Parts: sequence; structure tokens; C-alpha cells
Amino acid sequence: MLKVKNVSKAFKDNQVLKKVDLEVEKGDVVVILGPSGSGKTTFLRCIDFLEKADGGEIEFDDIKTDLNHASAKTIEKIRKKSAFVFQNYNLFANKTALQNVTEGLTVARKVPKAEAIEIAKKALDKVGLSDKYDSYPVQLSGGQQQRVGIARAIAVNPDIILFDEPTSALDPELVGEVLKIMRELAKEGITMIVVTHEMKFAQDVATKVVFMDGGVVVEEGSPKEIFTKPKEERTREFLMRILPDFDYTI
Amino acid sequence: MHPFHPEYIITALLKIVPYVGITLLMMLGTVIFGGLIGILLARAKIKRRIIPRAIAEGYIYLTRCIPSIVMLFIVYYGIPFLLLQFGIDVNHFSKGVFVITAFSILFASNLGEVFRAAYLAVDPGQREAAVCSGLSEFQAFYRIVLPQAAVHALPNFSNMLVNLMKEGALAYSIGLIDVMGEGSLLIGMNQGSFSLEIYLAMAIIYWTLTLVIELIFGRLEKSLSKGRKHATSVA
Repeated sequence: MLKVKNVSKAFKDNQVLKKVDLEVEKGDVVVILGPSGSGKTTFLRCIDFLEKADGGEIEFDDIKTDLNHASAKTIEKIRKKSAFVFQNYNLFANKTALQNVTEGLTVARKVPKAEAIEIAKKALDKVGLSDKYDSYPVQLSGGQQQRVGIARAIAVNPDIILFDEPTSALDPELVGEVLKIMRELAKEGITMIVVTHEMKFAQDVATKVVFMDGGVVVEEGSPKEIFTKPKEERTREFLMRILPDFDYTI
Repeated sequence: MHPFHPEYIITALLKIVPYVGITLLMMLGTVIFGGLIGILLARAKIKRRIIPRAIAEGYIYLTRCIPSIVMLFIVYYGIPFLLLQFGIDVNHFSKGVFVITAFSILFASNLGEVFRAAYLAVDPGQREAAVCSGLSEFQAFYRIVLPQAAVHALPNFSNMLVNLMKEGALAYSIGLIDVMGEGSLLIGMNQGSFSLEIYLAMAIIYWTLTLVIELIFGRLEKSLSKGRKHATSVA
């Protein structure tokens, strides 16, 4: 369904991505792991053209384009088929929770207002915020804001949702409420790419785990392969540091 | 020394107040045309393309160094002369046109900086979230970024308006009859009597105008800062 190939990106002299490839099938939950600075977030942002890659191609259903020469129209098409959940939520500060969700429906997809409100309310109900329709982002806790962010993403019924460290900015006790919703989405078969440090989530939910370091994909496989018998030394080191009870001889 | 006649302040006020409209019109014209140039300047500086940026920086440098009164005369004498070379005679144009031109040229750089600072005060993530929701760049700008930038711009903008109002009083030097112009005429007609009373009357008008500007912008800021005002009452 989604194929990205040879994605390269440098910030000045710093080569952040070195020809990264990724393939996602419908229903996949791809979790990208790796130490900070490994290029995971940049890679995700390149897929949605939030960063302009220096090179690479994307094939998303019937849309096919270079990442660095895509027309504004193609970019808009790809963005309309996908949704993005940000580390810092990035809810529209001047809009209520409900308006945050309807915006992409009424303005970008020309859904009639009444229908959009129905869809938005359903999405907010699903993330457990039925009592916060009219709250502005500043009135919500971090976990609630991120749940609105997820409601905003699912409301447009995207083919894929990109999650950029959705729980990294949250207080530890608020992480659970967001992960719970993401688990539900995975169960429903929504296709997702998730950049995260939540190992438990990766182990339980991922259909495919990608380990990145130094701007390349070091190895990828099923959670079982990666977490119990990683092939690469670099992956083992990383898991050993992250998981206190990690033992790769199992 | 003339004796002080406080009651003449009222007489002078009544005579000058009808010219407030001219002063306000001058300000409005300047904000519109200066604002348009200001938008271009802000855009050029934000986008960081070398040539537009250099032009913007040059423009701001050149105009910042010129006192308003010098700019007024350069425009007043210079533009008709320049246009006459192309066979266009603008000598009969209202003086207001030259005043607005001069102040637009000058205040464009101030306005440009106000706009630029306001734009940069909005988190870039707001635009990113908007385009990821499927909005076009233009929709993201005018529906999400602009309303938030406007709130940031208001305090500086109202300061700038008050400055413009004060500098605008210089327009009488090329013969525009606004608040200051009418006041000066009155002093002339009285052969210098009641000067103090008339200047006090003008000061009262400028105070009032400033008060009104600040009230309006205070209100605007409050009503526009949706999603900000409840910041203390987190549910």
C-alpha cells in the first residue's frame, strides 16, 4: 500500500537519513525504534512532506512521486489520504476540540458541516472526550490534548496514520490513556507507522518492528524476531540498554 | 504675555474637532498602503530568499534613517517632479495623497516588522498540523496561522498607530489641514493670541484619540484571544 524508497536527508553537513526504505501493507502496525538522533522522526516527517527529503521516492496506492520534486497538488493528495499525530499534539490553539476535528473535514474534504460535526463527535467519544467538545486546547491536559490529536487523525478516515512519538511529551501517568487508544486502533486494523520509545507497545501491537540507527535501517522484522533474537549487534546493544530484563539468548 | 482664557479651549476644540476625520483618514490610508508594502517586506524576510530579502533589508535601512518631515518634503516635491518626466501632472492632487504616500513608505518597515514578529510567534507546528489535516498552504495560513498571528500583532500594532498619529501632525508642514493644520491656522488667524489654549485643545484631542485606539485594541485582543483567556482555569 505504501512504499518509500531511498529516502535521504541532510541538515547542512549532518546526513540524517541514508537511503532508508520502508514498505507498509494495509493493516500493518509498523513501529520504528531507535536511539534519539537516529533519524526516525525525520523519516516519518519526510513521508508527509513536513521535511523535504533530498532524494527518494514514495508510492502510495496509485500515487507515485519523487520526494524532492513532488508538486503541491500531489503533496496535498498524499496528505489527504493520511493523518499525522504529533509529539507536541499541535492542536489548533484558536479552535475548540470539536473544531480541531471538523477542520480537516469541512475545509479540506468539503464534508457538510452537520455531517462533519457528527463524525467529529463520534471520534471524540471514541477517545473518551465526550465532555470536552467545546474546550480549547489550553483547557485540556496533555493526555487529553493528544487524544484530541488522535480523534482529529481518525475522523478523516485516513488510509494510514503516522504517529511521531505520541507519548514522549506526556507525564508518565498520562501515557497509558493514549497507548490504550492506539491499541484499540490497531485492533480495528487501522494502518499505522509509529515512532516511539514504548517497547511494550512495540512488543504487543506491532506487526513489524524497524530498528533505525545513524540514519539507516539496521534491521527489521516481527516483534518476536527483533525482541528475542536480533541479528545485529547494534540492535542487541540498544535493547539491552532499554529493556532491563532483555536477554537475547532466549 | 497674553492672559490665559481656559474657556477658549472649548471654542478651539469645537473648531478643530471636525478635522479629526482628516487625521483618521490619513492614518487609515497609511495603514492600508503601508500595510501592503509591510506584508511584502515581512514575507521577503521570512522566506529567506536572498534577493527579495536583500531588497527588504535595504528598504528598511533606507527608510528608517529618514525623519518623517524630510520624507514628507521629498515626496511632496519629488513625486510630482518625477511623474512630470513621464508627462503625468499630479500637482493638483490633494495634499493628503502625498502625506499618505510619505507615511506609507516610512511606516511600511514598522508594519513589516510587526507582521513578521507576529507570524514568527505562532508555533510552526500549527501550520504543520493544518497541512497534515489536508488543508492547502493558503487555507492553513488564513484559517489557522493568521488568526493567531493577529492576536500577537495587536499590541505592537496599536503602539504603531499612536506613533503614526503623532508623526502625522507633521503633515501640516506641507499644508494638509488636519487637527494640527487647523490648530495652526487658528493661531495664525488670532495673530498668536490663545496659542496655549489652542495647543491644549489639540493635546486633548490627541489624548482622546489615543485613549480610543487603546480601548478598541484592548477589546479586540480580548475577543480574538479565544483559547487563550481560560488558560488559568484548566479543567
